[in-house]
Amino acid sequence: MMDYLKPLPTITDENEPFWSGLEHGELRFQRCGGCGHYRYPIAPVCPRCLAVDFVWTPVSGRGRVFSYVVFHHAYHRGFAADLPYNVALIRLEEGIFMFSNIVGIGNEAIVCDMPVMVDYERVTDTITLPRFRPVLMP
Amino acid sequence: MSPSAAIVGVGKTAQGTLPGATALGLQIAAVKGTLADSGLDKSEIDGLLTQPGTTAPEGAYNYLRLGEALGLSLRFGGSFAMGGATCLASLQMAAHAVSSGAANAVLCVFGDVARSGGSKFDRAAGWGDSWGIWGMFSAAANSAMTARRHMHEFGTESRHLGEVAIASRRHASLNPDAVMRAPLTMEQYLASRFIVEPLRLYDCCLISDGAVAFLVTTLERARDLRQRPVRVMGAAQAHSPETIGNPDWWYMPHQRLAIEQVYAQAGVGPADMDFAQIYDNFTISVIVWLEQAGFCERGEGGPFVEGGRIQLGGELPVNTAGGNLSESYMQGWLHLVEAVRQLRGECGDRQVPDAEIGLVTGRGMTLNCSAAAVLGRG
Ligand SMILES: [Zn+2]
Repeated sequence: MMDYLKPLPTITDENEPFWSGLEHGELRFQRCGGCGHYRYPIAPVCPRCLAVDFVWTPVSGRGRVFSYVVFHHAYHRGFAADLPYNVALIRLEEGIFMFSNIVGIGNEAIVCDMPVMVDYERVTDTITLPRFRPVLMP
Repeated sequence: MSPSAAIVGVGKTAQGTLPGATALGLQIAAVKGTLADSGLDKSEIDGLLTQPGTTAPEGAYNYLRLGEALGLSLRFGGSFAMGGATCLASLQMAAHAVSSGAANAVLCVFGDVARSGGSKFDRAAGWGDSWGIWGMFSAAANSAMTARRHMHEFGTESRHLGEVAIASRRHASLNPDAVMRAPLTMEQYLASRFIVEPLRLYDCCLISDGAVAFLVTTLERARDLRQRPVRVMGAAQAHSPETIGNPDWWYMPHQRLAIEQVYAQAGVGPADMDFAQIYDNFTISVIVWLEQAGFCERGEGGPFVEGGRIQLGGELPVNTAGGNLSESYMQGWLHLVEAVRQLRGECGDRQVPDAEIGLVTGRGMTLNCSAAAVLGRG
């Protein structure tokens, strides 16, 4: 593959299931064994009930754009060629918030609360990133 | 409980681009200015709290390095970082230290050469897997997320953000010490380039060199000193450690918690304020703080800033020295200096007539913590 100049995750014992899930087309999160709460960012304990145990649980991949921004300045050289590029805060149906990028439409077509679906982009031999693509409402 | 404490001296250096200056050297100059302003002798100082600047290589040792330079002997001290909330959190700690007798007189100091030193404020937030994986870099981006959601939910417009930038600039034009004094029009604001859309160049604070200090002692000791004391009627901090795990992260619920505490301590409300010095790393911050501080309802901050309401002569003058946006970016420390000077009646062309009570706010660490104070003429 081409040189990938953007930051990549550092794979650890703690986050490996998240990233390996994406390799297989599955977006999954830690779901608390005590109360069922989804933890994200990845965490060693449930912030609601303090239970340590959890199960990596696939989610629907459906959500909405809670908010988004468009970068017109490259704070990191790896993104310089992408300007202007978007970053969106996605609210998944399961209540989880995550940062990602909207693909498949121009930045000017993004609106808050628009429905989106996860998409997977393999960016290196070992890393696949979750992105989100607009879905048409029936 | 409201502490029995007063601010008895303030000091600041020149601001802006100061080639050859060091953070430590500027801190020392600000302290000397503060001591001269107060009339208190250095031998009475037994407390020192500092915020290490982005360019202070000694980090958490900053207060020791400064204390050594100043020849101080301390029984209360430390350096800590709450970003733009550090100033008012220091005020809170200093006020309680002198109220309780843990210290007699506490100096609080910030200094930085962020501009000459090349500080970029470009870091990506997030634990473990940084948000930088998706390109989410810089302090501006977090506030831009807030601005976009605020626009969507409440109909806030770019020109509302522009009103904040224009008010700051107008006030800075009346402040001989401000860095950016040229008038700003709405046309210029709307024509300025986007940095992280919806935030434009003029929505962003400056990056500056300089230092600021202030001195806190008991109300009793304050009565015999050079300046009319400024009473600490309330001072509080609040934190929301959760980031995007909290659905309200973008709206910074800790701000409301900090405000509720200071109003309760001081026994006042928003209608009592003669002015507000509001943390403004980005223009949207002022709009959200105005809502959180009860000057208007949630979502009404945009219309609130219209029609000159937050300018001198308006209903609530905000950031009367120009703020982080136009005076200088001292991470909120100059907001406290301006509040003190307004309450002493020293502000000349930009004086709020008969200012007796004012609100000061600060916020830091991405969008996650804040501090606030209510100050009154002693
Ligand atoms: Zn739980």
